[in-house]
Amino acid sequence: MHSSTIRKAGLYILIFNFLVATFPQQALAGIIATPAAIAAQENHDSLSRLKQLLAREDVRGQLVQLGIDPGVAEQRVNSLTPSEIAQLQPQLDSLPAGGDGLLAVIGVVFIVLLILELTGVINIFNKI
Amino acid sequence: MLAPALALSGCAGVSPVLAPHLPAETRRTAIELDATPFYPQTVHQCGPAALATVLQKSGVDVTPDALVSRVYLPERQGSLQTELVAATRGYARLPYLIDPDLSALLAELQDAHPVLVLQNLGFSFYPVWHYAVVIGYLPDDDALILRSGVTRRLVMSAGRFLRTWRLAGYWGLVVLRPGELPARPTAATYLKAAADLESVGQTQAAALAYGAAVNRWPNDATAWLGLGNTHYQAGRIPAAEDSYRQAVRVNPGYLAAWNNLAEVLAERGCYDTAITTLDTALARPGPTDALRKLLLQTRSEILSRRPAGNSADTPGCEEAD
Repeated sequence: MHSSTIRKAGLYILIFNFLVATFPQQALAGIIATPAAIAAQENHDSLSRLKQLLAREDVRGQLVQLGIDPGVAEQRVNSLTPSEIAQLQPQLDSLPAGGDGLLAVIGVVFIVLLILELTGVINIFNKI
Repeated sequence: MLAPALALSGCAGVSPVLAPHLPAETRRTAIELDATPFYPQTVHQCGPAALATVLQKSGVDVTPDALVSRVYLPERQGSLQTELVAATRGYARLPYLIDPDLSALLAELQDAHPVLVLQNLGFSFYPVWHYAVVIGYLPDDDALILRSGVTRRLVMSAGRFLRTWRLAGYWGLVVLRPGELPARPTAATYLKAAADLESVGQTQAAALAYGAAVNRWPNDATAWLGLGNTHYQAGRIPAAEDSYRQAVRVNPGYLAAWNNLAEVLAERGCYDTAITTLDTALARPGPTDALRKLLLQTRSEILSRRPAGNSADTPGCEEAD
């Protein structure tokens, strides 16, 4: 009962998103938009609207799993272009995420020193 | 006899890294964009800090804190390159990815554009990803100057920087005001970035970018099409028509521009000229099926809008070309 309500709500959201996502194209009936013209020139087969929509939902879900508030995740997905969404979808977990650096580097240096120590190349830890 | 041989084999650091990438006349001139602001990063948040740095330099008043909710991923403890690019567009700035080489990076600095770079401070098999902003270089010391982490002015040897940058795929981003060009723009890259601005609703910024593009590359049909489309979206139909005419003038094989020209012709009542325009375009060799379908669709829409009976175009409807 409860889960079917949620599923229904999800379906409505999906349909609503589809309408919203389709709107800009309809507003410009007859005019070929620049992104579409560029894609056609590069001979890219742009994804179907449905595939684009599913990719969007998938990326949004992944963002939520990575700790983003659902409302904010929606905004973040909206700021991406279709090709960026297609690029993120399969590898959002593994793409470089620039972070702190400093602590991790200290960790790396320690590990390298430890290996050198254990293999007898250097001899610093004995002195401590 | 022995000494030169040793020098050659022993020290890789002897030959300078920067000099070959600098123009001969300014090879010794240091550059430092010291007006670039600095935001010491808080834990893991070098992405928001670096992005705020370059956004501020381009005239956007934004703090790292305001960017955290746009680009930070708590579970990954970092920020994705794509999201930095997307967030830049959100502030009506054009994100331009520079060519992946040191010359391109130095050229941007010479043009007073700080470069947001991704670095891998670890190893290829154990990456430690980090964002920093390159703000200058010192040819005499063969070093680069960065805003990085909690260090306002980090001087890093060019060799070491190049290693960390190479391990991150030479990724570098400049943030441009609408209508501003990077130091070494490529038409295709710049126009793609402008189209991306347009596709997320930054129409005004995109229009300025297309305007700069037609000035720089007056023979690029895509630039004219983009300019025409932004005119059209803003309701400036005559200006849009002019741009589409320029597009087909510089590239008569550009079907998308013929299509849009026909559409604006029809909108000002020139139905016959619009249909003739489409038919001429469709008769050209080599249009792809997808484009042909779009043109046929426009053609049938225009036909259905044409009022019955008196269908002759008015005198103002001269044919394009």
